[in-house]
Amino acid sequence: MNKIFLHPLPVRIWHWVNALGFLTMIVTGLQIRYVGLMHLMSFSTAVSLHNSAGFVLIANFFIWLVFYLFSDRIRAYHPELNPAKFFRGSFRQIRYYSYGMFVGEPNPHHVSPYNKFNPLQIMTYQLIMFILVPIQFVTGVMLWDVKRFGATIESLGGLRVVDTIHVLIFIIFVGYIIVHAYLGTLGHTPSAHFKAMFTGYEEVEEKPSAAH
Amino acid sequence: MANPLQVGAGANLRNFSWAMAVFCLASFPVIAADGVADLSDQDKICLACHSQEGFNKDLGKGKKMSLNIKGDDFAKSVHGAIGCAGCHSDVSLDKHPGNKKIPSTREYSIGATQVCQGCHEDKAKLYEGSIHAAMLRAGNRAAPVCVDCHSPHSVKPKSVTDTITGLSCKKCHEPIFNAYAESMHGQARGKLGHVEAPICADCHRAHDVTAPSVGTHLKDACLSCHTGAVETHRVWLPNAGRHLEAVSCPACHAPAAQRRVDLRLSETGGGNGAAEFGESARAAVNGLDAESLWNLLRKINQNGGQGKASLQGRLEVRTGVEAHQLADKSRAIRDCNSCHSDGADPFQNVIVSVIGPDGRPVRFSTDKGVLSSLMSVGSVSGFYAIGGTRVKLLDVLLGVVFIGAVSVPVGHLSMKWFIRRRERKNAEQRANS
Repeated sequence: MNKIFLHPLPVRIWHWVNALGFLTMIVTGLQIRYVGLMHLMSFSTAVSLHNSAGFVLIANFFIWLVFYLFSDRIRAYHPELNPAKFFRGSFRQIRYYSYGMFVGEPNPHHVSPYNKFNPLQIMTYQLIMFILVPIQFVTGVMLWDVKRFGATIESLGGLRVVDTIHVLIFIIFVGYIIVHAYLGTLGHTPSAHFKAMFTGYEEVEEKPSAAH
Repeated sequence: MANPLQVGAGANLRNFSWAMAVFCLASFPVIAADGVADLSDQDKICLACHSQEGFNKDLGKGKKMSLNIKGDDFAKSVHGAIGCAGCHSDVSLDKHPGNKKIPSTREYSIGATQVCQGCHEDKAKLYEGSIHAAMLRAGNRAAPVCVDCHSPHSVKPKSVTDTITGLSCKKCHEPIFNAYAESMHGQARGKLGHVEAPICADCHRAHDVTAPSVGTHLKDACLSCHTGAVETHRVWLPNAGRHLEAVSCPACHAPAAQRRVDLRLSETGGGNGAAEFGESARAAVNGLDAESLWNLLRKINQNGGQGKASLQGRLEVRTGVEAHQLADKSRAIRDCNSCHSDGADPFQNVIVSVIGPDGRPVRFSTDKGVLSSLMSVGSVSGFYAIGGTRVKLLDVLLGVVFIGAVSVPVGHLSMKWFIRRRERKNAEQRANS
């Protein structure tokens, strides 16, 4: 096993603040939406927490964005522009997760600071970080003060359109965070990826030599 | 300004039938009251007959119109200064009483509105834009005109404070007036004698009265006195601006009232959507449901040319009586759950309304499902109360995604167990063979 420095401090801070924020948003979002069914806190407390956590997440997003904009590690998010290569890599990764890893095959993706995501992760994180999260922030801010952003809301089709987009992305995030947490246990030990996200160092298998 | 009495009626007076006047004067010495002494001689001559109790005009078919004027009241009224001929300049005294045909007292009152306009042009213009004038134009002869609110022969100066009793509005709106009288405002005005407490016209305006549920003038009226209300709400109420826009004040401040959602058809850029909508909505035998509402809006927008029709939702109380049952603010509804929970009371009653030709809303009952259907995203896009009017299909989707996401680890671990078991068996078979 080799130890490589995969997660710089700003990324780790962003990740865990983001994780806590997402959980807060999901719990308070559920409480707001299902007032009669959930009784974790009052509606007004849930709204206040939801709003506060939302603004913390927006600020936190900029920690992540600024770090990567001024770091060459942003290459980790560069998309694979060759479709054949992308689909081949994705297929190998799916095969590994659904069969290979159970029979001891090595992970087809070899992580490095500039290539820390496998093809499936790159696609997922690009979709989440560059599309879904910004849309969720924008729609959330609009719903925070409907009157102030009334003209924009109207131009987008109305309050229900904005809210429905917000709820749809919320639903995606609920599914995502469950799957994300589970996939985090699929390192060489169940806690390996979690430890790496605290220490910054990921233990990776040595790259098999050409002779193997 | 010339005295209309002198200009319009002077010649007539000179030709007046003195015999008739002498008869009246001799028979009924009623013009000796204090105030009447201040009137002109000409007016006294008029009152010689018209102050007689039971002085009527026979309109035929058993109908009579009272011609009786309380001389003292008239003398003390603001109109005392202009005298009888100020308004009745059409009376030709040499032919008086003549044979002028008057169909009914009501028609005479409606016709007299023209006379009032001569001096009160500004008020007449305001009245023309009112719901009362619109009702009259629409053929409702009972709709109030000037004399229904301002008794012309005893009208007092504006500076005289309106008392809570004897308000003209009460004549037509008695149940509402009674509710007002029992409300915070009515109690303050009546029992406590606070003259600054609002009375009907302070909120509804005196002449340009419009339908209460149309426009923002009532909310503006509330905020014109309760100037700190917006800030006070902002302290504790999230999205206070939106709440004040989409929720009528009585919906929370009349806590005993039953509430409903009014989806008002709003049009931009002209068009005849309201009429078309009304016609189609009336034709919907079982009322409007989510699909028929959606289709109806689409149809109007397809036919409507340049304009765009949409539904603007508003939470309000069901009746005018309830709208006036305003309580002390300590009793106002502050519990978010009363609206933001599933099955909340206000969303059980939904109506769609259009503004009718007389300026009043025409309402159509609507299935409450219009607020929770997926189609509401398109048809009721501007009205949404989190939790209370959520789209049910999104709840189902959340459930499916949650189950799907939880299935991932369960399925993956099952697959792991199954494949490893198979591999173990294969290995055993290979070892045995």
